[in-house]
Amino acid sequence: MALAFRAYAQFAGAPLKLRKISNPWRSPSGSLPALRTNQKETLSRPSDIIIHLRKQKYNADYDLSAKEGADSLAFISLLEEKLTPALIYAFWIEPKNYVDVTRRWYAEHLPFPLNFFLPGRMQRQQLEKLRLLRGDESLEAGEELEKEMYRDAAECMNLLSQRLGSHKFFFGDSPSSLDAYVFGHLAPILKSKLPNAKLQQHLKSLDNLTNFCTNILLLYFPRDGRESQKTTSQPEGADFDHVPNKRRKQFLSALVALGAMLSYALLTGMVSIQHVQHEALEEPPDLQHIGPHEEEGDG
Amino acid sequence: MSLAAEAFVSQIAAAEPWPENATLYQPLTEDQILLSDCASSLAVQAYLRMCGLPVQVVCRANAEYMSPSGKIPFIHVGNQVVSELGPIVQFTRAKGHSLSDGLDDVQRAEMKAYMELVNNMLLTAELYIQWCDDATAAEVCMLISRPRYSSPYSWPLSNVLAYQKQWEVRRKMNAIGWGGKTLEQVYEDVSQCCQALSQRLGTQPYFFNKQPTELDALVFGHLFTILTTRLTSTELAERVKSCSNLLSFCKRIEQTYFEDKSS
Repeated sequence: MALAFRAYAQFAGAPLKLRKISNPWRSPSGSLPALRTNQKETLSRPSDIIIHLRKQKYNADYDLSAKEGADSLAFISLLEEKLTPALIYAFWIEPKNYVDVTRRWYAEHLPFPLNFFLPGRMQRQQLEKLRLLRGDESLEAGEELEKEMYRDAAECMNLLSQRLGSHKFFFGDSPSSLDAYVFGHLAPILKSKLPNAKLQQHLKSLDNLTNFCTNILLLYFPRDGRESQKTTSQPEGADFDHVPNKRRKQFLSALVALGAMLSYALLTGMVSIQHVQHEALEEPPDLQHIGPHEEEGDG
Repeated sequence: MSLAAEAFVSQIAAAEPWPENATLYQPLTEDQILLSDCASSLAVQAYLRMCGLPVQVVCRANAEYMSPSGKIPFIHVGNQVVSELGPIVQFTRAKGHSLSDGLDDVQRAEMKAYMELVNNMLLTAELYIQWCDDATAAEVCMLISRPRYSSPYSWPLSNVLAYQKQWEVRRKMNAIGWGGKTLEQVYEDVSQCCQALSQRLGTQPYFFNKQPTELDALVFGHLFTILTTRLTSTELAERVKSCSNLLSFCKRIEQTYFEDKSS
């Protein structure tokens, strides 16, 4: 959902300084995305961030009529109810997608030692969220759930496709908050290389929505758009070759490996360290002074 | 249920005509039913009346536990039990009764979007006001929701069930990002939702031209219940009353489909 408010900020022309960090604990709110305002206020929810930008007169819905504003609100609700749960399922719950893509991506981008436990914790949080959204405490990944989730998501995409029609954006020639929300939900589906890509296949069958996402990427995220085009021409494995701070991570890995080897050598007795006692060069301190001094320390 | 089984069930449903003894189950009207459940139940009743399908309303203290999904209301038709408006709409469509057949693709998309808006904002706001501890909402919870919800049960079960329900709702509110909202923000969301519905309705008798759809039934269920339910504060009803065309809409549906009930 960070993508939704980034898109909105681009559409509204809001001057955002983008700071990419891989450690959510270094964010001012302790989670990502987060917006630090000029008033030193911190906002985390994309909807709150968009409301804040509107208050600052950065409004992408400025040209919408009252009826279009109402439609926008309704379709955003449709996205939240039908597509968000399917996105959570596709990226966090579906076992193959989670292991091969989501967990791997987070493990490679989070700093040590967070990369060991944060992805698992995030997955548990997402599963809990899905259970609460659907009102089913015993909900688990499975064929039934997947079928139901993807059916709702496919229906939602079809409805969005019908509403978009042959237009460039949902309301005329300029993008609005609805375009930002739709893009924020659909772009990850379109651009991620998931092993179980049923949602992506369905999205690609809807030409107008695919073109809609591609156009926004090229118009408003030209650098990201070019990068994504480069990566699509690369083989599947190359997706994770460009890891941030690669040199530092290699150096740290080497240090950890060296430490482990030394520890093993010491513990198994391959290497032993002998203590040699040398004759004292100085006389030992006066023992009479030690007793009272220690008593003072205790008291 | 597999796709084949689902198709088989819908074929059976379609083959059988709507029976005269179809029953809708809901909690006890006088002592137990809460705002959100009453709204959902009224929406289903309105929908079935708009379709011209007879249904007998039966109140049961344990309706929530009788429902296959744990959601209220549910209908018992022949040997099938279906709960909530969405599945009931699909079920009646399988039997050849539909209110939205006359809509084109874009209108159908808009109808479904507005239905989600009502569920996302109005229903959630109703649940928040009933169960979530904010200065004023706590009053509603202590004086209305807990006593009514647990009225059929004796102590200590009554307390246990009421607290369990409240805990469930609060957890859901946190999951959808409503946990940190103030009551004023919730009322603001209700206003925003009502204004959106008001804009969509405009001067038309129904949301889509001159014929009612399931959206009309859903909106009527929620708005009429909000307008006619006594809470500790009238603020929620006042927000709805600020949209005059929605008031006329509620009166129109009440007169057209609930004439025998209006007193």
